[in-house]
Order: sequence, then structure tokens, then C-alpha cells
Amino acid sequence: MASRLFPAKTQSGPSPKSMTRPKVWTEEVEEAYRFQLAGYRDETEYNAIKLGQGMDRWPHNGFIKKLQRKDGCFYYYDKTRECPEKEVNKCKIYVY
Amino acid sequence: MKGKGVACQCDRSFAFTARASKVDVGAPPSAGAFDQRPSSGPTNFRRFYDRGDFPIALEHDTKGNKIAWKVEIEKLDYHHYLPLFFDGLKETEHPYDFFARQGVHDMLEHGGNKILPVIPQLIIPIKSALSTRNPKVMCTTLKILQHLVVSAPAVGEALVPYYRQILPILNIFKNKNLNSGDGIDYSQQKRENVGDLINETLEAFERSGGHDAFINVKYMIPTYESALLN
Repeated sequence: MASRLFPAKTQSGPSPKSMTRPKVWTEEVEEAYRFQLAGYRDETEYNAIKLGQGMDRWPHNGFIKKLQRKDGCFYYYDKTRECPEKEVNKCKIYVY
Repeated sequence: MKGKGVACQCDRSFAFTARASKVDVGAPPSAGAFDQRPSSGPTNFRRFYDRGDFPIALEHDTKGNKIAWKVEIEKLDYHHYLPLFFDGLKETEHPYDFFARQGVHDMLEHGGNKILPVIPQLIIPIKSALSTRNPKVMCTTLKILQHLVVSAPAVGEALVPYYRQILPILNIFKNKNLNSGDGIDYSQQKRENVGDLINETLEAFERSGGHDAFINVKYMIPTYESALLN
């Protein structure tokens, strides 16, 4: 079932086993929101595609600061929480 | 027609018959201190944007509240681009207003010590944006000013010599606040209340401007009360 939902792609790394929708905001949700805004599933996929290049984190809280999209453009993120309350349940948390 | 009426009223008030008692010369005409000023043609920002000179990807999707930069911000020439983005704060049309606002936000958030040397070049765009007296433009510019003073160390102090250029407009609008009695003023929630934003901005100036900040703000805006002293 999982393989039908998430077909294995060698380019984008290992395929996830399941996905859940968060109910409340956490740092994990913030992380997923930032990656998904840039067009990636999560850090695993980003590392598989971009090999970790172009990624930057804020030193004081570890939030994502900079990501490179698949088309080569850069997205920059704020120091503080960016994920609005209405977007929380639209984020996807993948389990491998 | 209205203008003609005003002219007549002025004529009457300066006519020698106006000195006679029981002559109604009407109220003086409005000076127009709060009136919105007409725009002075297309901004440099708009020209550069239309020509595609900015290193940003132009996207018009629904979720877009971000700019996709084609070049890393750290590698941008701040002396060239930051004043240009500030020039775009005057814009009221989509997409120019969005790209200018978001571009300034990104550059300030990630500029670090590259912002400080550019401060002198930002004063004229800030002043001209505030001088439009357009409530929307003023709100945006005030929020940007609040961001600017905390964007990097010593930026607040570097702005003190330029208070004379920036603060006169703030002095005019400082008391522009809605008196809704016990009703709800929704602009407070949306942070669109010019009077409140001006107070916040002045407090931010005072907090970040060092020892001389308060006395300089007080000199330009006599009704300002310190947020730190007393």
C-alpha cells in the first residue's frame, strides 16, 4: 500500500512509509512547512536531491534559513515562526 | 466648481467689506496637510522590475508570500539593490508593492553588517515614501523602519542624524488615531492604524538609537513621550 502511495524514487531518496497531518504547531511542523514551501517532502528528500547544498539554518534556534528550490532559485525564511495557524494541518509529516 | 467657490470665499475674506461687522466670510479653506500627494510618475523600482533587472523569479501563484531569489542574497550588491527596493515602497499597485515590500524584508533579515553602509542612500526613498501621505504606503514604510532599526547592530544609531528628514511627516500624523469610543477599531488588529504605528516606530527609534535618540526625537516631535525614561 505504502509503495503505491509513495512510489520509490531513487533520485529523491528513500520513500516514506506513512504520512500524518499535525494538529498543533511544533518545531517539527515548522521544519516540514519550510521544506514543503520550497517543494520538498522534508530534509531527507532535500539531501537526496541537493546533497545538502544551499541549505542554511538560523544559529539561535536551528530553523531553516535558506533553501534552494528544484529550479535553482533560493527561498529565505525568517528567524521566527513562519507557519500560520491555518497552514498547520496542511503540512505533512512523513515517517520512514 | 468647488475650487471656484473657495476662490470666491478667499476673495471675499480679503475684500475691504470683510472688515465691516456682521459680514460672513466663511471658514478658511483646508490647508491639505493630510491630503494624499499625487505620485511623481513611475518609480525606478517599477522600471527595473518591468525590464527584468532584479534577480528574482516572477511568480504569480496563489500561495506566494515569498520571493524566489535567483541569486543568493549574501552575494547581492546592497549599495545597488537595497535603495532600489526601498524606492518601490511608494508603489501601491500589485505586484510592485508586494515585491518591494518582501524584497526589503528579505534583504534586511539576511543583510547583517552589509546594511549599515547603505543607510545614507535609504533616506531619500524613505522620505519620499512617507511624503506620499498615502495611509497604506505609510503603514508599510513604518513597519519597514521598525525592521530596519533592529536588522543589524548600530543601524539605529546611524539613523539619528537623519531624523530631521524622516520625522516631520511622522509629527503630522502622530495623532491620527480613530476615536471609536467603546467600539472596536479593527485597524489595530490589522496593524494599519497610522497613529499607533508611528508611536511604535518612535519607541523603536528610541530603544535602538543610543543616548542621543530621545532628545533628537523630542526635538522633531515635541509631543513624544519617552518609553524608556520616567
